Order: sequence, then structure tokens, then C-alpha cells
Amino acid sequence: MTQETEQMRTPSRLADVKAKVGHIPLVRRNQFLFSYLAFLVLYGAVLLPPKGTPSPVELVVVALYLVLALAWVAIVLTDELKPDKLKTGIVIGLFVLIGWLYYQYSTARWSEMTFLFFNREIIEKAWPYLIRGFWTTLLLAIAAAVISTILGLLLAVFRSFNNPVLNFFIVLYVDVFRAIPIIVLMMVIYYAFPFMNIRLNAITSGIIALGLNSSAYVSEIFRAGFLSIKKGQIEAAHALGLNPIQTMRLVILPQAFRVVIPPLVGNYVASAKDTALASSISIIELLKAALAQKALLANPSPLIFVTVLYIVMFVPLTRYSGYLERKMQSSKRQINV
Amino acid sequence: MNKNDVMIETVDLQKYFKDLHVLKGINTQVRRSEVVAIMGPSGSGKSTFLRCLNRMEEPTSGHIYVEGIDIMAPYIDINKVRTEIGMVFQSFNLFPHLNSIENIKLAPMHVRKISDKEATERGMQLLEKVGLSDKALAYPEQLSGGQQQRVAIARALAMQPQIMFFDEPTSALDPEMIGEVLDVMRTMAKEGMTMIVVSHEMGFIREAADRILFMADGLIVEEGTPEEIFKNAQHARTLDFLSKIL
Repeated sequence: MTQETEQMRTPSRLADVKAKVGHIPLVRRNQFLFSYLAFLVLYGAVLLPPKGTPSPVELVVVALYLVLALAWVAIVLTDELKPDKLKTGIVIGLFVLIGWLYYQYSTARWSEMTFLFFNREIIEKAWPYLIRGFWTTLLLAIAAAVISTILGLLLAVFRSFNNPVLNFFIVLYVDVFRAIPIIVLMMVIYYAFPFMNIRLNAITSGIIALGLNSSAYVSEIFRAGFLSIKKGQIEAAHALGLNPIQTMRLVILPQAFRVVIPPLVGNYVASAKDTALASSISIIELLKAALAQKALLANPSPLIFVTVLYIVMFVPLTRYSGYLERKMQSSKRQINV
Repeated sequence: MNKNDVMIETVDLQKYFKDLHVLKGINTQVRRSEVVAIMGPSGSGKSTFLRCLNRMEEPTSGHIYVEGIDIMAPYIDINKVRTEIGMVFQSFNLFPHLNSIENIKLAPMHVRKISDKEATERGMQLLEKVGLSDKALAYPEQLSGGQQQRVAIARALAMQPQIMFFDEPTSALDPEMIGEVLDVMRTMAKEGMTMIVVSHEMGFIREAADRILFMADGLIVEEGTPEEIFKNAQHARTLDFLSKIL
């Protein structure tokens, strides 16, 4: 009796049930999947027509091939016992296959397109200028991020004091700098300030403008992080005799950082793309360099190449933020007991 | 130090939340080694009273004397006063980014400025005392409510306070965990700690409290030993309240 109830309580895995029942549908046998795959490869090698515009009969052959491939993918995807990584890989494979079929049998003018947009020679010619632009963009982005983080954090800390006078000026600062177009801010700092005897070079002006703008957003992000901390935390800290600065440093900031990392990184990426606006004050950053080379060489390949550079710059950043998030989560959860 | 000297005395303590008159003039004394329980219906101002005593809430008027010093005086460094007053909250309020031992040694290290080694040693002794020496490296979210509250008590004790405040320490706990927290509090009472406890745990109060303050509508309407209050209450509000919870 007790054994029966025990058995009823243990959750049954689908695999166990199927193993017990002994019935495995044909499509679930890997043997079948492999022979199907071999058939697809054979079909592709033997029956698929050569590259070029297919005749109506050939079109049917290609379409049938695609349908068969889709069916194979569908069989694997609907099998809940197959690992997710395999499924992801197979879907990527499907995209590659569709792309390849399109490349083979569409009447697209690939060579012209390659010449215009993926022209290696042009990119090689433009390379020295592009790489200089890349470093300029990186400098602008990093310097602006550093300035905005320090300034934004300070503003948020001051704001958490809830002093009405201080708050009035902080809110004013945040609202104004979020509203001013960055281009205008750059131009004012670079072109108008010299009349007030404040002369800054283009890069410094650009960094300051980007930093001021971004700091307004960063301060709001940190403020949200501070607000996410429960009142009880601050009360507990005060009850232990920690002064306001110790409370901020030891209790609030370590907890707030966990909350703000994702939006903060998002803000850095957005702010880094705003570096392109620095071209308005004669800074040749990455995008400007590409546009100039495009005009000079009469070929848009540099633009495509620069896009790759942007991705190379930003993807590691967002990945790193994801890693930090996970690390902080696990440091909270790690079992040391 | 005289065993019967007054630790805390309040004189006409009043508190308004905007227009709401929460405390309407509290006059009372707490002596050294005394365990005082504050009871009363919800909204009677018992938590507010307790929180005013270490100025977690700023009293609107009146005086609070801690060992004869008026802590409402403008020159008083309230952080210094608070180091002498341990406080335990209803919702534990452990720091979630620190494990048990780090929670406990944070204030001794940064406020009392004692060394990491000494703080850890003392913290481990306190954990032993609350029966959680095996949970020193566990983070709050890995602990049950009762365990969290016991760590919170150890954290408050680590500052070696003269007096402990308990603000409904067992209200957020499941019934089977209340006992373990009350056991710790009983031990502290026996060791002669001065304690002010806002709680409705009858068993604990009957056994450990020296005096009950019964509050209603922002005033202490009745006070006496547990014996007197439970058996022989005079005030209508006290009788009404006791009839509901006994």
C-alpha cells in the first residue's frame, strides 16, 4: 500500500513512461533520422540542378528538396527528448540551407552586389582611415562612459539625501540635459564657448557633451537602483549605528549595483552610438570615416565593414554584462553551508 | 551601576504623522535588566513608540532620556546612541548581499572599529549562542524565517548593546519557527538583558516579562506585571483586547 502511494508520488518522466510502455514511434528512432539525413545529402548531391536560373521542372525538384528538409527539421524539433542545443544547431543549419538555395537558384546579381557592398579591395584601401576612426569612437565612448558614471552616481547619491533645494537643481539638470539634442550641446561647447574664452579641442568638447547627456540618464538609472532597496535595509543599518555614508557604501551601493548593471550597459551602448554625432564638430569618428571613404572611393563597402566593427565593439559589452549579472546572482546563491 | 537605575525614561512623548496624532504623551520608565512588553490593538502606536525611542521615527515633541541623557537634544549624535540600542525588526532586514557572519561583523568592524579577526571570533560565539554556528556562511535567502531572525538577533547583539528593542519579532514567522526565536529571547532575558518587546506572544510575556505596558489610541492605558494584567485588568480597552486574544 505504502509502496504504491510512494510510486504515485514520484513524478513520471516521459522517457520512463515510454520505456515502460515499449512503444517508440518510428519518427523517434534516431536510426530513421540518420537515414533520412543521408537521403537528403544524397538528394542534394545528385538531383539538385547546377547553379543558375532553374527550369520549371528543376524548380519543382528544388522546392521538393526544401519541403523534405523542412519535414526532417520538424521531426527533430517536435521531439521533446532531443537536447535544446541540437535543435538550435539544426535551426541554424536550416537557415544556412535556405540561404544557400537562394544563392544558387535566385537570379540575384551576386557579383555586382559583392563588388558594391563587400569589396575587399575598397576596404583595404579605406582600412587605415577606418581603424583611426575606430579608435576615436572607442576613446569618445569610454571617456563619456567614465564621466557619466561618476557624475550620474554623484547626482543619484545627492538626490537620495532628499534635500528639497538640492533636488530642485538635480531634477533641473537631469531634465535639461535629457532634453538638449547632443549635436546642439556639442556645437555650443565647441563653437560658442570660445567666445566666452573657454577653448576646448574637438575631442574634449565631444567627450564633455556626451558625458553630460549620458550622466542625466545614468543618474536616473542609479536612482531607480536606490529606490529598489527596501526601507528596512536602511533602517537596519541605522539601527546598528552606521552613519549615512557607511550606509550608502556598505549597504545600499552593493545591492544597487546588482540592479543597475543591465540598464547601465544598455545606456553605455546607446551613448557609444551617439559618438557618431561628434562628426558635427569635425571629429572623424568611425561612421564619419566610413562615410568619407565611401564618398571618396565611390563604393559603400566601408559602411558594411564599419557595421561589423560596431558589432565587434558592442556584443562583448552586452555579453560581459550578462556574465556579471550571472556572477552576482551566483555569488548570492552559492552554497557554502 | 545600580541594578535598579533607570535606563530609559520618556516624558510627554508625542508623535504626529501629518494630522494623525499617533502618540499622545507617553510617560514611562524602563529599568536596567527589566523586560518590558508592549501590547495593544493594531494602530495603538506601540511600534511607533518603540521606533521613537531610538529616533527611527522622529518624535514631534517630548523628551527621551537614555541613561539620563536627553537624546532629543540637538547636539546628540544619534548614531552613537543607536550603537547602545540593539533593534530586531519584524521583517528581519538582514543584508541580502552578505552572509550570516558578514552581516554580524559589519557594524562592529565599521562602527566599533574592531579587527576582522576579533569580529569574526565574537560573531561565531553569537551564532553559537543562537544555535546557528553551522550557518555562518549561508546567505539570508538560504535561511528559513526563524533562522534569519536569529541571525538578526545575533547581529544586534554583536554591538554589545545596553538594551534591546524587539519590534514584533515573531509576527512574520510560521508557527513552528516562533519557538526557536522566543527561546533565544528567553535566554537573553535570563542573562539580564534590558529588553523592550512589542509582541503578542502570551506565553513568552507571561514567563519572561517583568512588566506589561498596554497601549490604546496613543496612550499607555494600563501597566502592571503580567499577572496583574492577565488576571486583573481594569481598563475596558485592556479587557476587550485580552478577551479577543486569550
